[in-house]
Amino acid sequence: MTRAIRNYFVFLKRCAGVALEGDWRYYAWMGALAAICLLGLHAYCRQFAHGLIVTGMSDEVSWGVYIANFTFLVGVAAAAVMMVIPVYIYKNEDLHDLVIFGELLAVAAILMCLAFVTVDLGRPDRFWHLIPGIGQFNFPKSMLSWDVLVLNGYLLLNVHICGYLLYCRYRKTKPGKWFYIPFVFIAIVWAVSIHTVTAFLYVGLGGRPFWNSSIVGPRFLASAFTAGPALIILAMQVVRRVTSSSVLGADIVGGAPLPPSRRRAATLDDFALLTRYLPEIGSVPMETRRQILPMTEVLEVEPGDVLVRQGKVEDRAFFILRGCVVVKRQEGGRFRITRTAGPGEQFGEITALNATPRTATAFAEEPSLVLSLSAEALRMLMQFPQVNKIVRSRMSERLLITDRALMTLRSIVQVSMLINVFLLANEVFKEFYSGNLHVVSSKYLFVGLEHHHALVPWIWTAIAFNLVAMILLILPLSRSLKWLNLTCVLAIVGIWIEKGMGLVIPGFIPTPLGEVMEYRPSLNETLVCFGIWAFGLLCYTLFLRMSVPILQGRLSRENENAPDPSAGAAADAVTPQG
Amino acid sequence: MDRRSFLRTSAVLTTGLAALAASLKPLLEMNDFPTMERFLQKYYKEMTPQDMDKVLRRIENEVEQQYGLRPHVRDLKPMNGVEFVYCLNLTRCIGCRKCVHACVAENNQSRDPEIQYIRVLRLPDGSLDTDKAEHFYAPDSVPEKGYFYMPVQCQQCKNPPCVKVCPVHATWQEKDGITVIDYDWCIGCRYCEAACPYWARRFNFTKPSIPKERLNPEMAYLGNRPRRQGVMEKCHFCLQRTRAGRYPACLEVCPAGARKFGNVLDPNSEVSYILRSKRVFIQLKEEMGTSPRFFYYFDV
Repeated sequence: MTRAIRNYFVFLKRCAGVALEGDWRYYAWMGALAAICLLGLHAYCRQFAHGLIVTGMSDEVSWGVYIANFTFLVGVAAAAVMMVIPVYIYKNEDLHDLVIFGELLAVAAILMCLAFVTVDLGRPDRFWHLIPGIGQFNFPKSMLSWDVLVLNGYLLLNVHICGYLLYCRYRKTKPGKWFYIPFVFIAIVWAVSIHTVTAFLYVGLGGRPFWNSSIVGPRFLASAFTAGPALIILAMQVVRRVTSSSVLGADIVGGAPLPPSRRRAATLDDFALLTRYLPEIGSVPMETRRQILPMTEVLEVEPGDVLVRQGKVEDRAFFILRGCVVVKRQEGGRFRITRTAGPGEQFGEITALNATPRTATAFAEEPSLVLSLSAEALRMLMQFPQVNKIVRSRMSERLLITDRALMTLRSIVQVSMLINVFLLANEVFKEFYSGNLHVVSSKYLFVGLEHHHALVPWIWTAIAFNLVAMILLILPLSRSLKWLNLTCVLAIVGIWIEKGMGLVIPGFIPTPLGEVMEYRPSLNETLVCFGIWAFGLLCYTLFLRMSVPILQGRLSRENENAPDPSAGAAADAVTPQG
Repeated sequence: MDRRSFLRTSAVLTTGLAALAASLKPLLEMNDFPTMERFLQKYYKEMTPQDMDKVLRRIENEVEQQYGLRPHVRDLKPMNGVEFVYCLNLTRCIGCRKCVHACVAENNQSRDPEIQYIRVLRLPDGSLDTDKAEHFYAPDSVPEKGYFYMPVQCQQCKNPPCVKVCPVHATWQEKDGITVIDYDWCIGCRYCEAACPYWARRFNFTKPSIPKERLNPEMAYLGNRPRRQGVMEKCHFCLQRTRAGRYPACLEVCPAGARKFGNVLDPNSEVSYILRSKRVFIQLKEEMGTSPRFFYYFDV
């Protein structure tokens, strides 16, 4: 027991260690975020001392940009399941590695949500009145009490799932199904619930006709499933860019077949050598080894020799017996080193087993000895459970943010955006065509009332962004990452306006007694918002910083006593891009 | 650790701590830091009479310290067999807003920023559409031709949306029909303010300020005792008066006799008579299903 706790603390300590190491770009990014956080904290302390009078809110418009951001971010958090559903229900392997990043984004988004609600409270010192048991919790009548439950529950669920899976990766053990699969399914339902409950917060208010519309819930989900995956598409490209080594460069030239002088038939001694680095091979009986021998050969490679070329379809897999092989992948026109494999490690097995094109190019970095097997030989080896397990687990260990995964996300964004725009059109039709007295709020939002039109330019910007994003998503143009990124930015900004300020503020205008009082966030309020966003980005950067090396297998229990792996990770600063 | 990295680490740490301290500095401007006693104060309904007594004495001390005048703070309970109802004669109201100011004076509302429980709407004859209402009418004399006036305050709904949404039960309806707020329990989320269809609730966006000489020392815990920054408040039918057998301040001051108040369970009360004999009443926004205890009526 104490040993398990000790191990866990070593894990946490090493994660913290990794998070604190980085190159100047990493420090600059984190430093800038921390500075903005502190600015926000300063603004919040002013608000804490003087009250909400330092905001732009009033009795007429009693919720503002805090609640607007909160609403948007609940959606982002809920959208993390859009990665989980394809992986766990439809077994989509492309998105497999993205699940944890999606859930970590959910954790960061929920933390921001909680911060936004807290800064909106008039008496944050009385937060404990909300704690069931010691406070007075108006459950189930108050929708806000539901929100407290579902948001904190969702936070715990995601922290558990991410934490457990990452710790298993770190220890290189297989996650126990019962420890996370049930939670994954609960989280899927829960994600829908957090956003529905947040919509009900508004929908349940009969005195505010602008909100009191049953379409708000579905609209929330549609816009969340647009903005969330769009955000993940952008975040994943940043991760992909910075996790591969900063060594960029040209494609490796050469790649002519090795001259016969440097290839030879494999012997049982080669297998014995491999067993030293890969003990699981020991479980393969001599008889099988002998059967395999004709299908294998040993290559003596010199630095720069290309063993595998991206895009080619071949049926050979490789195990390294001595030396070191570098794997480079071409992504969006650039070449990035994705990993460096040493003795006992494998490469090329994905193509061999699946008969798909090579996902990367591999070349020797130093004089090396490589065992090359045919796909059939590899399959024969993998009939032995121990070998099968190690080969499979190493395959899934590799972090693959492929363009295909991004394209899967693109189709999610595509469908959701269409639904989102459709639902918005429904709402606009109902409001303006029936033209009853309740249309005033919508009029204020879309065309303005006499001298009051603060939101008009905003909402039309949002609509324009959404429409352009929708058209781009329909066109094949957005299959190119450059256009996809533009589309995602447009969608995110459009939805942030539409469902944040565009939903919260008009609900208050005019007041139930017909008074029109406009709202503009104050500088202090804006600084608090920036502070919370910076805090969220800071959290997410830290989460990625810790989880990426674990997922890549660079940070694991095996290398606990090895020299600090963060030295190797120094080049992978998570820096702002895109 | 070598000298160089030691210096670097300590420089980073010092800068960080200095920046943190600088950002926390505005907390020093805080004039109303909650004491441990106030922080841990129990919920109104969970206090024993002894707890309540202690709290009332503490409030008296605090008010005395701040305003230099010893108030009389009571915890007035609703009476049995009493359900309060308000009737307002729209034919008589002349829109003078005397009720607004009497209410502010009686209930120790903040003068800066201004908080008022009653909003008098000026409506063109023939319409009850509040979108046509003028809130800030300022003629030389009232009443004006072609308009009528409708004062709106908390309607003390039988089915109050504000009570339903409060996440911490800080506001509830008492058996005499008055919806009250425990100002020391409210967390200031303003959900009730968003939920109220009558715009009857007010928030203390900062520390309320009342001139010392204007303080009304006759106070009730759930009524007109001074509020703190960051909590909700609203009309409570002057419960410090009405639960002690007096009329609300807004009624007493009305020069036109437009306001009637009383116990609807008593068949001989004025309000019972009005509700029995008048043919038309208006319950504002009746379609909301809130069922107000505030009735507007006409003489004819």
